[in-house]
Amino acid sequence: MKSLVNNSIRALRAGLAIAIGATLLLSNGYAQDEQPAPSKPKPVKDIFESVWIIDNQTVMVPVKGTLEFDILHRFGTVKNGYEDFWGFFAPSNIRLGVSYVPIKNLNVGIGITKANMLWDASAKYAFLHQAKGGMPFSVSYYANMAYDTRKTATIYDGSEINHDVERFSYFHQVMVARKITNWFSLQAALSLSHQNAVGGYYINGTDIYKSMKFDHLALSFAGRIKFSEAGSVIFNYDQPLTQHSQYNPNPNLGVGIELNTSSHSFQFFVSNYSALSPQRNNLYNTNNPFKYTDAVTGKEVEGGQFLIGFNITRLWNY
Amino acid sequence: MKSLNFALIATTVAFIALSFTTKLSQDKKPWNAPDNYVKMKNPVASNPESIATGKTLWSKHCKSCHGAKGLGDGSKAAQLKTDPGDFSKADFQKQSDGALFYKTSEGRDDMPSFKKKIPDDDERWSLVNYMRTLKK
Repeated sequence: MKSLVNNSIRALRAGLAIAIGATLLLSNGYAQDEQPAPSKPKPVKDIFESVWIIDNQTVMVPVKGTLEFDILHRFGTVKNGYEDFWGFFAPSNIRLGVSYVPIKNLNVGIGITKANMLWDASAKYAFLHQAKGGMPFSVSYYANMAYDTRKTATIYDGSEINHDVERFSYFHQVMVARKITNWFSLQAALSLSHQNAVGGYYINGTDIYKSMKFDHLALSFAGRIKFSEAGSVIFNYDQPLTQHSQYNPNPNLGVGIELNTSSHSFQFFVSNYSALSPQRNNLYNTNNPFKYTDAVTGKEVEGGQFLIGFNITRLWNY
Repeated sequence: MKSLNFALIATTVAFIALSFTTKLSQDKKPWNAPDNYVKMKNPVASNPESIATGKTLWSKHCKSCHGAKGLGDGSKAAQLKTDPGDFSKADFQKQSDGALFYKTSEGRDDMPSFKKKIPDDDERWSLVNYMRTLKK
């Protein structure tokens, strides 16, 4: 009898323990269900308001379904003053381009540039987005491929191009940007430009002297300071990193203003780059913002070789 | 001759009157948001951050037609076929947040849809919060 009672007590204890355990487990489960789901950090909007910032791309990829039409224009350098009305009446360079965002975070585009009748195809992907209480930066990758379609094409030193493959050039850039305050955004980028043809000649019959390297690394910095809801001061600076035997490109300094509307972005500025192709700008820029000594002649060259330019973008959403 | 003049004047007056009527009917064309939107509650609290977001969006997307203060006097207003309205008046402000959210999102005639340009719902709600500050 005693053992029966003991067994019953044990069974009751076990049952109670299971019931309490199950209740605790269930109540825990309910408690988790009742807790609000942790909210995902919201991406910071409008780090930049155009895919362009003077001569560079920004981290921005427009919203999915956006079609963009670009008109980029660079006048001649201001050095001749009134003679060609500070470059306005000098030969200019123009790029017409269209791009589209077929899937979230990916922008693809094509364009044609007057100089060298250069066709380009490009893609930009936004990998990371700065978010409040989350990711501190936005990171995007941009790449393009360009093809020189002139009947008689030449490379930078005037040598004629003999094979079609030499008409190609490429550009890759990783951009990191942060909207530091509502009024101030900053971007840094590392780029690699590649040319398929360089000038050179044989030394001692076997070794080859190349006047430039095929690849060129550069750093760029760009920023935006808003002075009103729709207007900003914008700037960019490009610093070549790779040292070539000859034809070392000059840095680029650009300053201007940007005005944005619902469907347009207008940028007016002065800068040194004129090629409207990032790889050609980085590889071959001969305009210099600063005074410098020419490596070949040893002579001092005046800086201030700026030109006036504008970028206009028109957006449609589908 | 008198009857011809009368007919000419009558036709002209009728034409002007009809044009005016058409204009009026365009201006006053009713625009009612669906009930489910009218009853919708604004999930974004009207705080300085939300209003600042709304103001930025207003300046970029709305100001050119509706004007800086929502009086319907933006630089593009004269080119519009429909009256952009006066957001400072009680007639506009008596609408629910949900109704304003619907109209901002969907658009009609000259008023574009902003669902694609401003894809984040919370941002369009912030725009509604900013519209409330335009009340006089």
